[in-house]
Amino acid sequence: MMLSSLASITWKQWRQHRLRTALTLLGIALGVAVYFAVRTANVTLLSSLTITIEKMAGKATLQIVGDEGGFPEAIWETVKDTPGVHIAQPVIEVLANTAFEDEGSLMIVGVDMLGDRELREYQFDEAGEEIADPLVALAQPDSIMISRKFAEKHQLKDGDKLPLFTAQGKKEFVVRGIFKPAGLGEIFDGQIAVMDVFNAQFVFNRGRNIDRIDLMNESGVSVDELQQRLRTRLPAGLEIGPPSSRGKGIENSVAAMKIGMTITSFIALLVGVFIIFNSFSIAVNQRWKEIGILRALGVERPNVQCMFLVEAALMGMLGSAVGIGLGFFLAIGAERVMSQIAAQLFSYVTTQQPPVFRWDYAVTSFVIGVISSVIGAWLPARAAARLNPVLALHNIETRQSENVLGKPRIIAGILLVLTGWALIAFGPASVGLSLQFSYSVLIIFGLVLLLPALAALTARALRPLMDRLFGSEGVIAVDSMIQSPRRTSATVGALMIGLSFVFSMGAYVRSYQKTVSDWMDRIVNADIIINTSENARSRTNHFSEDLGKTLAAIPGVRRVENIRFLFLPYADDSVALIALDMDGWFARVKDVVEGADEDEVKDKIIRGEGVLVARNFVARYHLGVGDRLRFQTPTGPFDFPILGVIEDYTSEKGAVFFERELYKRYWNDPAVDIIDVMVTPGAEVATVKQAVTRAVKGQHRAFIYTNAEYKKFIMDLINGFFVLNYMQMTVAIIIAALGIVNTLIISVAERKRELGVLRAIGGLRSQVRKMILLEAAAIAIVGVLSGTLAGVFNTYFLVRTAAHMIGGFTIPFRFPLTIVLVALPVALGIALLAAWWPARKAVNLKVVEAIGYE
Amino acid sequence: MIELQNVSRSFGDAKLVQALNQVNLRLAQGERVAVMGPSGSGKSTLLNLICGLDEPSTGAIKIDNVDIASLDDDSRTRLRRQKIGMIFQTFNLLPTLTALENVSLPLRLNGVAKKDAEQRATAMLQKVGLAGRAAHRPDQMSGGERQRIAIARALIFAPPVLLADEPTGNLDSKTGEEILALLDELHREFNTTILMVTHNEEAALHCDRVIRLRDGQIISSSAVTARTAEGQ
Repeated sequence: MMLSSLASITWKQWRQHRLRTALTLLGIALGVAVYFAVRTANVTLLSSLTITIEKMAGKATLQIVGDEGGFPEAIWETVKDTPGVHIAQPVIEVLANTAFEDEGSLMIVGVDMLGDRELREYQFDEAGEEIADPLVALAQPDSIMISRKFAEKHQLKDGDKLPLFTAQGKKEFVVRGIFKPAGLGEIFDGQIAVMDVFNAQFVFNRGRNIDRIDLMNESGVSVDELQQRLRTRLPAGLEIGPPSSRGKGIENSVAAMKIGMTITSFIALLVGVFIIFNSFSIAVNQRWKEIGILRALGVERPNVQCMFLVEAALMGMLGSAVGIGLGFFLAIGAERVMSQIAAQLFSYVTTQQPPVFRWDYAVTSFVIGVISSVIGAWLPARAAARLNPVLALHNIETRQSENVLGKPRIIAGILLVLTGWALIAFGPASVGLSLQFSYSVLIIFGLVLLLPALAALTARALRPLMDRLFGSEGVIAVDSMIQSPRRTSATVGALMIGLSFVFSMGAYVRSYQKTVSDWMDRIVNADIIINTSENARSRTNHFSEDLGKTLAAIPGVRRVENIRFLFLPYADDSVALIALDMDGWFARVKDVVEGADEDEVKDKIIRGEGVLVARNFVARYHLGVGDRLRFQTPTGPFDFPILGVIEDYTSEKGAVFFERELYKRYWNDPAVDIIDVMVTPGAEVATVKQAVTRAVKGQHRAFIYTNAEYKKFIMDLINGFFVLNYMQMTVAIIIAALGIVNTLIISVAERKRELGVLRAIGGLRSQVRKMILLEAAAIAIVGVLSGTLAGVFNTYFLVRTAAHMIGGFTIPFRFPLTIVLVALPVALGIALLAAWWPARKAVNLKVVEAIGYE
Repeated sequence: MIELQNVSRSFGDAKLVQALNQVNLRLAQGERVAVMGPSGSGKSTLLNLICGLDEPSTGAIKIDNVDIASLDDDSRTRLRRQKIGMIFQTFNLLPTLTALENVSLPLRLNGVAKKDAEQRATAMLQKVGLAGRAAHRPDQMSGGERQRIAIARALIFAPPVLLADEPTGNLDSKTGEEILALLDELHREFNTTILMVTHNEEAALHCDRVIRLRDGQIISSSAVTARTAEGQ
């Protein structure tokens, strides 16, 4: 009964303070939206990858997959002969490029014409039905079958020519079948075509290798049983499992991206908690007379506390519901960015899917939103319950400044910061990333405890400066902060968290960029670099060795080196393998081998007697010089010693380098992914690049860079990886800006009388406006200062722990001075913008009413 | 000095409340006038109109022959700075500022340099007997001290007019008497025109004239003679 009466008071408060209510709800909604969007985008990305795999797999119950280089087609014979196999079909997947203007990639699926129809769904257009059997027609070497969507896009019909860039150069294929948008036709947004697997082997330079075998078990044999049977018959190194299990590997590959985004989505939620704290602190301040009356009327302390907590829970429910809706739309954008990153950095091509609405995620987000609201409101609600009713009923003019600068609070804050720092610096890495992240959170909490003191101290330090620069308006502006450090520190806290992650992400990216840039200056020194993809690499599209020979004949070209760059399964994960001409590489790159004599290592590596591994590989797998590295290859086990360690940032998974001839021997794979071209001394790089472009144009889809252009391209890819994090940080800053609006509106409401007096004794409207704007600026300054402090600690965590744990990288700490210098005017701008409405409110208040205000 | 011609002020739309009705009043330079009347008689409205915080519905309010109703908000504010000091029942000091800062605030809002403003404020604090409390904040002072600070703030510009809204209303009788004595002293020194709203007959005796308001109209205006004062 009592609670229902209190609820009606709450409802009236919401209606009376609509703007504050709306801002608070928006704060919660944005926090929840980011959290929900990240999870939804992640599951949508994985789902679109999985759907692609499943549609590609058709009715297959098992798939046999090798590494990126594929495996010998002879294995197909073994599989077919295995008892219990109903049907087994070889597959090659190539992301090729058409020679159409402005056309992107086309997924080519190479299948065996005779048996594949049993396995995969092919629904042909009526035009296609005119051909007696499109799959048989495809057995002609120039045949290709395309999706209806692709056909419509390019106005292609049966019998038309489709030009494709292949490893053999540009080739024209004849369309002999158009399939409907069902089964295979549904994936990759229709950018898909089918050709004969053996023809694909030839035109895409795959030798006698295939990528995959899709098979179905006989009805009397279970999938598990067949899987076991195949495992005993097939060489090690081949992955045998149902199509759905392949999604797991992809999930591992994009794990780093997922971790980064999950962390930042928690930041958005944390900022939301501050908004709630801020809003409820303000509500308690505004309603303290009301609380006094309620207490005087006999409402017990727990009920007062309960009133505010229920209010917070209700706000949490409403805000979370809005946030989930908003997050679902945000997920569309987030998923696009993630798909782009997956394609650019991890070479995974997805089929665009509408966001997957997961009820479990919605419920989790809802619960987290409500709990965050209640946590945010806890302290203000407790303060309301503890309010002295006698004091509360008295005039507000004699209000004491908040006592938040107590020693215990400061000591606790310092202890938390130091403990967090010490754990990051000296704690064991074996505890895992989540626990390591909690050390960083410990520092944040410590700083939050220190914030009121920090806000008050900074305001005191700013007072003389503000006095000198802005006169009494400046003094009154900072005094407001000194008087109510708790109100200010909640907003500063939101700003601090938002900015600290902007700073630390920026610092991390900068440190990473600088490290990678320095590394590339040492390692990447070919004059011209030719890549098969506009992304970091292509999993399926390769050059042939013949292209290198053609390029070597161009005047001005001194030397051409072929590089194979792929990922191989290793210890339940995958590592990058870079097979290159080590003789040429060592001729250009000096003093890079760690842990061994370089001259000795060089000779052995060139002779193909061992491998070099990246520093992060050593850190991840606890291996060192002298240890042996083992891979399963199509020709048997690859077992060579690690001869040296080098600094390398190719992949967070670690990388292995060895002689390309050794790779060709073991993997039976002559494919080329990158071609390094060295020009003769005196020759103009730009002129040679033009000649290379002319030689390649019309024959191959190739991406040709000078040394500087290639380094910039890599840097742009790195930046692309962090785009989503920056987007999330932007949301965090928007939430923090809402906090500033909230704080200033309350500041204006609380100081209505003060502002009225100021106007009464001769303060102009413009002076009042200036005062509010200066208060916002002062909040921004404290926010930037504390954000920088928190950012330094967080950067320390990122470079010391996160980079090491996620990628095994060692990245030196660099203070983000430029970002801080840029952030200060930006934060000031945001703060002033946020202060516009409260300042307007302050300027327009009625002086007579304000003076009489209690 | 101050002249009100047929001034009316009404509030509300549907149900009109006539706070002041056709008020005519003239105050000479250096005159002290007490405004008395029951609650709701229009005393505070009168004060708010004279200081330019409110605008009359009809009529003219002239200060030194300038009709303040014809001025815009900023001009009225500037006029207030130069010509009108105000003191309130609840003192209305800025809680975060020290006594010195509170007193120097009007000067600083008018662009006077800090050093100069503080020198003048120190002198003013000396006049009100609080030189030793310059660094204290309002919550560290008694009610009487706070009102002295408010008076110092009101007179820092040496304005020709001082408007006082129940200046002793929140004080005990002894402190109230001290404040009134201080106002007498400052009046002698500055020859300030004082318009004081009060319920306190004792306070009214410190004035030259008492006007009584009822239902928004002046019902009487009588001089305070020595005999009246003695009789009290």
